[in-house]
Amino acid sequence: MSFRSGSTREHETSDQSTGRSASPPVPESSEIEAEGLIFYHMDLYGSKDRFDIFPEDLSGQGDRSRGDTRREPALSSEKFPRSQEAGYDLEREVAELAKMYGLDEDREKELELLGGHLEMVESRRPPAHTEKAGSQGSLYNASKSSSPVRDQSQSTKQQGLPGEASQDEDQSKAIAEDEAESHIWSREGLSSSAMSDEWNSQAVSEEEEAANVFCSTCKMPIRAFDKLFGEHKDHEVAQLSSAVESEKEEIHKNMCKLEEQIAQMENFASHLEEIFITVEENFGRQEQNFEVHYNDAVQVLAQKYEEQLEALGEEKRQKLEALYGQLVHCGEHLDTCKELTDATQQLYLENDKASFMKAAVTMVDRLEDFLKKEVDLKLSTQPDFEERVIDFSEVEQLMNSINTIPAPCAPVISPQAPNAATGTSLRVCWGLFSDDTVECYQLCYKPVSNDGHNGEQAAPSPPTIKSKKIRSCENAALVCWESRDINPVDSYMVELSKEADGVISSLSIVGIPNCEVLIHLQPMQSYRICVRALNLGGSSERSEPVLIHTTGTYFCLNEDTAHPLLAILDDGFTIACDELENPECDLPVYDNSFTRCIGILGSLIPFPGKHYWEVEAEEDTEYRIGVAFENTPRHGYLGANNSSWCMRHIITPSRHKYEFLHSGMTPDIRITIPPRRTGILLDYENCRLSFFNAEIAQHLYTFTLHFQHYVHPCFALETPGILQIHTGIAIPPWTALP
Amino acid sequence: MALKQVSSNKCFEGFQKVFEHDSAELKCKMKFGIYLPPKAETAKCPVLYWLSGLTCTEQNFITKSGFHQAAAEHGLIVVAPDTSPRGCNIEGEDESWDFGTGAGFYVDATEDPWKTNYRMYSYIKDELPKLINANFPTDPERMSIFGHSMGGHGALILALKNPGKYKSVSAFAPICNPMQCQWGKKALGGYLGSDVSKWEAYDATQLVKSYPDSHLDILIDQGKDDQFLSAGQLLPDNFIAACTEQKIPVVFRLQQGYDHSYFFIATFINDHIKHHAKYLNA
Repeated sequence: MSFRSGSTREHETSDQSTGRSASPPVPESSEIEAEGLIFYHMDLYGSKDRFDIFPEDLSGQGDRSRGDTRREPALSSEKFPRSQEAGYDLEREVAELAKMYGLDEDREKELELLGGHLEMVESRRPPAHTEKAGSQGSLYNASKSSSPVRDQSQSTKQQGLPGEASQDEDQSKAIAEDEAESHIWSREGLSSSAMSDEWNSQAVSEEEEAANVFCSTCKMPIRAFDKLFGEHKDHEVAQLSSAVESEKEEIHKNMCKLEEQIAQMENFASHLEEIFITVEENFGRQEQNFEVHYNDAVQVLAQKYEEQLEALGEEKRQKLEALYGQLVHCGEHLDTCKELTDATQQLYLENDKASFMKAAVTMVDRLEDFLKKEVDLKLSTQPDFEERVIDFSEVEQLMNSINTIPAPCAPVISPQAPNAATGTSLRVCWGLFSDDTVECYQLCYKPVSNDGHNGEQAAPSPPTIKSKKIRSCENAALVCWESRDINPVDSYMVELSKEADGVISSLSIVGIPNCEVLIHLQPMQSYRICVRALNLGGSSERSEPVLIHTTGTYFCLNEDTAHPLLAILDDGFTIACDELENPECDLPVYDNSFTRCIGILGSLIPFPGKHYWEVEAEEDTEYRIGVAFENTPRHGYLGANNSSWCMRHIITPSRHKYEFLHSGMTPDIRITIPPRRTGILLDYENCRLSFFNAEIAQHLYTFTLHFQHYVHPCFALETPGILQIHTGIAIPPWTALP
Repeated sequence: MALKQVSSNKCFEGFQKVFEHDSAELKCKMKFGIYLPPKAETAKCPVLYWLSGLTCTEQNFITKSGFHQAAAEHGLIVVAPDTSPRGCNIEGEDESWDFGTGAGFYVDATEDPWKTNYRMYSYIKDELPKLINANFPTDPERMSIFGHSMGGHGALILALKNPGKYKSVSAFAPICNPMQCQWGKKALGGYLGSDVSKWEAYDATQLVKSYPDSHLDILIDQGKDDQFLSAGQLLPDNFIAACTEQKIPVVFRLQQGYDHSYFFIATFINDHIKHHAKYLNA
């Protein structure tokens, strides 16, 4: 048969994939196109029952089977579905395309006969197919809806394809399968579900011979007879099947393009969604940026206004002072004039000529002298004030400097790594520690003098690690340091090394912006840690190293929280209280310290897992020990609120009393041996806080609670006494249960 | 000794079984419940003995306490014997619920007509562990004991009279000082005669006073609304005072709102199992 090649190919691939469901066939040239459809998004079009559509054998032919489920069982049972290809309803589109390509209703009728014939052919083969079908067999063997068609085909004498009919009878099954497949394929490709009903009705009534040739000129199927003797005599013709094949290829190509487009659009849509979000984010940032600048500008303006106002006031004061001075002077002058006038008048009243003359001469001299003095009638100061102008230039500058995008923060260049340079090249790495928008980076360089200084900036001096404030546990350490340096520091670098079995391994953490870092560590090791400071001038020397042991949990006491009557002894881990008097009196109280409860908080590393410490106390000391949230009220008592949990030991006349307090409530528990050394296990994983008599490994009590935040150890004294705190203890095994 | 399996039920992937055997100490047929955790299929497990209270049989604990999940989790075999010999046809054994049948008080009686059969102390101390170790995958070195009410009394005295035999002991609402309460006076008088000095050997509060070492970690749960507590039958304060004096570690928890019933036991049984597991699995 002329189209054997194609169908043989199909057949082979079908055979190869026998027994495997949904396995892709060996890619052939015409099937590669089909592969492209695998990537199609199901969701957009809703997923359908994939099994019933897209049997494998159609892959090579381009068109997907769009048969409705009613027709699926009619297919050869050896055809396996392609699970990837199901999904979109092409039936409608096929109908349209079919119409477009001139596959109109008239042809349908003729094709039905084809289909009917094929049904008959096929119905003889189910057993063979069952073997091959494997898991898929059931779908295809069941001929639920094919029976009507089959019946019809059986009842109809098929003459339309004389050649094929006889061949099917005579040839081997394999070849017959080919035929059936290709015919089924052709039937499949050209029909739509909408028209399937017509099949039934029309197959019976059809008495004509089926068309088997395609007239390319008229673009319609015709009977071979018509070609020879009819109007299509001179027209170009082609075998119907091959014509159909090529038509299908065309359609398939277009379908592929369509699917590509769909995929593209989807990607674009999701991209758009992302852009949406980015727009919002950018807007937010811009808004903030503007606000900041606006506030700056307003501030500057206000400042200027006040400055000028003050200057104005000052000027006024000065003027008034000067004027006042003048006024006083005038007054004095007037007084003197008045005095002289009075004296002169007095003189005139003198009758004794001799004394008159004496006085008169003196008076004349005085008057002369006085009148010689200059009289300054000039205003010392003008009433007008200086021109004052509020200088807007700075504000203008600020306003103009509002950029649409704020300048990004400076990146941090990593120190030169080993093997980063050759004789003629150098590799520079840097990092950006903010989420600013950066379009591009600009790298500037200049050769420095041979002695290594670039002249602009000196490298910083090494920082100092606050060794007393180190907090650690089995799995992490929180290290902080200070850097008292006049040189600016851009970032810090931490180097840690551990020695295990004589092998020293080290690790550097670079680009630390602040003066502290939380490092994840291995349990049961010892680490040596030092810090360097870095700036453009290079890196500092190493700081003094500190040794960290990850054998247990270490914490320090937070002195800021200590009640004024609570003293911390020199070792840093013993707290003492001498007197209880006036716990609420006018002792210096800092914001963060306890005011009523004579207590103190520890600073525990904020890290999950288990933490264990012990508190030692004399039998006659009354105390509260446990944990509390950082924000537990400083005016409250430990255990009396819902932000703290503690064991409280008090002594009554008859016995020791132990309370396990939270929100002021405690269970009723008697303990016969007062613990001298209490072990406290804080277990974030299992949500519990347990207390033990560490000396005899006796479990006392466990709080079960869900920690919403990290907690800190807390300690308080209720009688004069001492509490000794022990940290860095490995978690004892007897704390595991209960 | 031949064991006859009476019942077997799968529970938390292990098996709750009941066996019957002829007891040499008690000279009658005795039943006991035994829970075999899943671990027992492949390894030897420690054994936890439970002693029930007045009127109980081997059934009460295994059906009402809900201990199986914890026992399975921690891999413990739990044995629950009966509370007294049965069917001995002793005159007066069924007259009262707090003496005779169902009220063995875990003593070895010396008075007639009880002294032949009523030897629960020796049964629990010797015969039963021997039987269990011979027939089940046990680790004979790891044993603990606990109980409720009269059984709590039994657990305490067995642990105190046999230092080192039990790795841990705990009790629910135990009769701590039978010499001073009505129940105790009736039972001890009936089984041991009127010489009060003979009673001391079976009184936990007394035994504590001469307990040689303090390697015992005792957990006691007591319901606050327990009618027998208020009736003065249990007297835990005496025991605690004695332990405090002798420096025996005890944690005694008074549980608000709880009574004497198995509902109380079921609430806290997990804590007790964990308490024992800590020592048995160490």
